[in-house]
Amino acid sequence: MRLPTHLPLFWTICLINGVVFVVAALLLVLTPARVSSDPVAAEAAVVALGLAVMLLANALLIRWAVAPLQRLITRLEDIEHLEPTHLPEEGSGPVLEMAQGVNGLLLRLANAQRAGDARALAAQEAERHRIAQELHDEVGQSLTVVLLGLKQVEGRAPADLVPELAAVRESARAGLDDVRRVARRLRPGVLDDLGLTSALAALTTDFAAHSAASVRRSFTPGLPALSPEAEVVIYRVAQEALTNAARHADAREVALSLQRLGGSVVLEVRDDGRGFEGLTEGSGLMGMRERAALVRAELSVISQPRHGTTVRLRVPVDGVAGAA
Amino acid sequence: MIRILLADDHTLVRRGVRLILEQEPDLKVVAEAADGAEAVARVRDTEVDLVVLDIAMPRMTGLQAAAEIVRRRTPPRILMLSMHDNEQYFFSALKAGASGYVLKSVADEDLVGACRAAMRGETFLYPGAESTLVRDYLDRLRRGERVPTSVLTAREDQVIKLIAEGRSSREIARDLHIALKTVEGHRANILGKLGMRDRVELTRYAIRAGLIEP
Repeated sequence: MRLPTHLPLFWTICLINGVVFVVAALLLVLTPARVSSDPVAAEAAVVALGLAVMLLANALLIRWAVAPLQRLITRLEDIEHLEPTHLPEEGSGPVLEMAQGVNGLLLRLANAQRAGDARALAAQEAERHRIAQELHDEVGQSLTVVLLGLKQVEGRAPADLVPELAAVRESARAGLDDVRRVARRLRPGVLDDLGLTSALAALTTDFAAHSAASVRRSFTPGLPALSPEAEVVIYRVAQEALTNAARHADAREVALSLQRLGGSVVLEVRDDGRGFEGLTEGSGLMGMRERAALVRAELSVISQPRHGTTVRLRVPVDGVAGAA
Repeated sequence: MIRILLADDHTLVRRGVRLILEQEPDLKVVAEAADGAEAVARVRDTEVDLVVLDIAMPRMTGLQAAAEIVRRRTPPRILMLSMHDNEQYFFSALKAGASGYVLKSVADEDLVGACRAAMRGETFLYPGAESTLVRDYLDRLRRGERVPTSVLTAREDQVIKLIAEGRSSREIARDLHIALKTVEGHRANILGKLGMRDRVELTRYAIRAGLIEP
């Protein structure tokens, strides 16, 4: 049994009360039950019984009418545990409207949060970019000047100063190496200067140099152009996946590929390492998911003990419709 | 006398490089440029034998300028000078037509040698790039991929493994108890046998190995 959908809650309750009163009145009129001006005990008992039945019927009906509302309130209370945050749109009249309203609100909140996250991440990348650039352009160049100047002075210095000057020169060199390393960690210059494929190739060479595993890379030529944001996301996810493979997987071989599939560009990092059971959201996975969400990319991580791990990122290419 | 054009957007770096180069009697900086576009213009109006280009420059990067300069009928040799210790830049520089790549952090030691090598028509391979190439080669060999077949001597086999580990010539000489000159000789032979002798061969290899895009 369903109430008409558009009946406000107030009228629902009035209607229920009205129906109960009318039924009671009809019973009083149509049945032999009578209350005389000087009621006897038996009559009082009948009236009491009738009243009790009325109250009970009323209570049950009203409870039935507000039950969806009660359920909605319970769901609202533990909304922070719901994943994804979406209420079932059920019930009738006001309850349905309320659920729809709350869902709309949740959607707007999620959108606002994603936009906020995107802004924060973009600001972070921009800031890193700026610092890296300044390290390169300011500190790096100054140290280069020091290095070259010292070399030049060394050629004309008295012999007893030469070892000392050479030691200072080595410090300048070490400083320059540090600056370069820090700048590179902040932001891979190669991504801006030479593009995504070069940046990924550089990642894999770095990986091969610092790990026992060998690495195989394959890039489909002629990949569609991606937005700078999407490129950074792909780069960072690849970086995280390789870091995980090196740190936890104990892999012998890692394969990294970037290819086009229909209207998407797909990054895949596969290792033949230990793998793990049950995804530990800690190991950088959360970060990867957050980044993926920024460019509406799908991230999937498949891992089985002793069968390695595969990280797959599917980034939609704007303006490329369907299979090409 | 080698006439050199020097391009770097930092005046003080340019001055430092110039002083280093002019300590050598046979090297002379005859022109300077503060960006890539200016370097291209200088090559047009000045006779030079060698261009030393910084990679990161405004208006036109060193890589773009190099690509522009090698299109001339009799292009001068080109050396790239860079902050980036990254093989991708090295391969991109070779692809753009440069014959060598010198890191700024070792410019005080390597630059003069690189200039001379470039003028002899040799490729100046910076050490990190060489070990990357060799490591990649050994990886592909182990996986059974088709690679330029070559027979290395037992000694060269020892040397190539040490190069792959990123050891310097000096360290290799010490480990194997042989002279530094001998190690240099082995290195040159190995690269020759692997088909990585000069710029063209190296570029071709890097493309085939998927290290850079064609």
